[in-house]
Amino acid sequence: MIQTENLTFQYKKSEQVFNFPDISIDKKENLLVLGKSGIGKTTFLHLLAGLLKPVNGKVLINKVNLNALKINKLDAFRGENIGFVFQKKHAIQSLNVLENLEARLFFSKKSINKIAIEDLLEQLDLLELKKSKISDLSEGQLQRLGIALSVIHNPQVILADEPTSSLDDENCKIVIELLKNQAAITNANLIVITHDQRIKSYFQNTITL
Amino acid sequence: MNIWSISLQNIRSKPLYTFLSIFTLSLSIALLLGVQQLKTSFKNQIENNLGKIDVVVGAKGSPLQLVLASVLHIDNPTGNISYNEAKKISKNPMIKSAVPISYGDNYKGFRIVGTTKDFTTLYNAELESGYRNEKSMEVILGNTVAQELNLNLGDTFLSAHGLVENTIALHADKLTVVGILKPTQKVIDRLIITNLESIWEVHHHDEESHEEHNHENHDQEKEITSLLINFKSPRALLTFPRKINKKTSLQAILPIYELNKLYEYTSIGFKTISWIAYLILIISCVAIFMSLYKMVKERSFDLAILRTYGATNFQLIKTVIYEGLTIILFAFLLGILLIKIGFYILFNYMQTSARINILQELSFEHILQIGLLIFTMVILSITMAIYPILKMNISTILSNEK
Repeated sequence: MIQTENLTFQYKKSEQVFNFPDISIDKKENLLVLGKSGIGKTTFLHLLAGLLKPVNGKVLINKVNLNALKINKLDAFRGENIGFVFQKKHAIQSLNVLENLEARLFFSKKSINKIAIEDLLEQLDLLELKKSKISDLSEGQLQRLGIALSVIHNPQVILADEPTSSLDDENCKIVIELLKNQAAITNANLIVITHDQRIKSYFQNTITL
Repeated sequence: MNIWSISLQNIRSKPLYTFLSIFTLSLSIALLLGVQQLKTSFKNQIENNLGKIDVVVGAKGSPLQLVLASVLHIDNPTGNISYNEAKKISKNPMIKSAVPISYGDNYKGFRIVGTTKDFTTLYNAELESGYRNEKSMEVILGNTVAQELNLNLGDTFLSAHGLVENTIALHADKLTVVGILKPTQKVIDRLIITNLESIWEVHHHDEESHEEHNHENHDQEKEITSLLINFKSPRALLTFPRKINKKTSLQAILPIYELNKLYEYTSIGFKTISWIAYLILIISCVAIFMSLYKMVKERSFDLAILRTYGATNFQLIKTVIYEGLTIILFAFLLGILLIKIGFYILFNYMQTSARINILQELSFEHILQIGLLIFTMVILSITMAIYPILKMNISTILSNEK
């Protein structure tokens, strides 16, 4: 459950002030945020994750006000309740696929369950690559690993920043379906931010910045 | 999965940088430890081998040479002095004991010293087996001599003329081993001890067989190399040498003074090596800094991702610190290994020619001291590398993903 109220943000040394529309999504609901480049999509996402502090307004996740948390609490809250999917880079280069997932669980202070990890890798068709280096994965495999990393710790919210922009039509479809699927399995809210019009039809709730 | 495994994976993912850091650091550790070890061994050797010798009286010449020959037994003597004159000097009431020594021969490179019974008491050396040499041509062996040449009681051997091992100028008279000394860790371990008469007789016989001998002068001709003197009180240290140097044709030298001078000369060399070692230490710290800083900068996206995983800044800093600590640990082990191998090769080579083994084990304090210095330097480089983490803006790094 996510709510925002009167979110505004301004970068230091910049005149531009971003005003964001209020959103409110209930359990199991998804949201697609569309907008052109430079409109502040990523800024909005980072505000939702507490990575940026708003000038005004607040972000509530499960009724917890992110902006009232101290830095260490915020780090812990983020690690525990939020999963990220990025556009291209998803994993730590020096660790292999399995180690990345273990590190994800370690830092969010969840117990490391090998069976659960392998289950998830199986679902995402990555099980055979569990010992592979990150640099050896293809773009589609990497994106699927990104999804695995965003859901392995059973988060409340999955935030995806342009998850499909660099993928071809076929992979785009696979990735967005997997994302929706995993969000549904873990009962998490999925918020996708993109300028990619191809995925519009997959979402009921859509806002445009 | 924990912070350590992340650090170790980081190290494994850049083997070249890691090797460079460990190698330069271990080189510097090896040099620092090596210099320190040589320095303490050298100083210890000098102090140890002085025994109870306050003053050396010998023929005029280089004072240092006289001390090296008569006290450390590593150089040629400056010349001989008359035994009668030495006996006269020995009667001085300030003197507690005066030990004459006479050189000239060796057996397989170990020096044979003709002397009196007091010689062993200068070094507090005691018999391990056998009995003291009483008659001419009887010898007692220093412990190292007995072990290295595998000589036992009752064995006999022919001495060679001169102080260097050779088989050309062998003497005709056989020497018999009658006693072996306990190890003392002093220079006496490497000496063969006999009485003065043995040295005189050996040379006298040789002369007889070569040329006509004038018997009347024989007694006045008795010569020794030097006289090792131990005083009753240290006051004599000031007056006695001055008297000898002024009134006789001999010289009286304070060995401690000469050896300290020698130590001063050599410490310039030690200092130079130390400076080189410090320089390498700085270079290796820069290498470590660069390696870690490069990791922090190039992997800033990885670090930002770790933050989104829930890692705190402190946990990220720990990954960098653990990486540095691992490098120190390996460098220290490698450094100690390097210096052990280095000294082994060096002294194996030296022992065959000089037969001097001065190496001493380095004390724990010295290792700790050097360890602390290295540790501080590396921690400093790590701290500098950590700085970007503290200033890291995750949002900016994540938005610049391309």
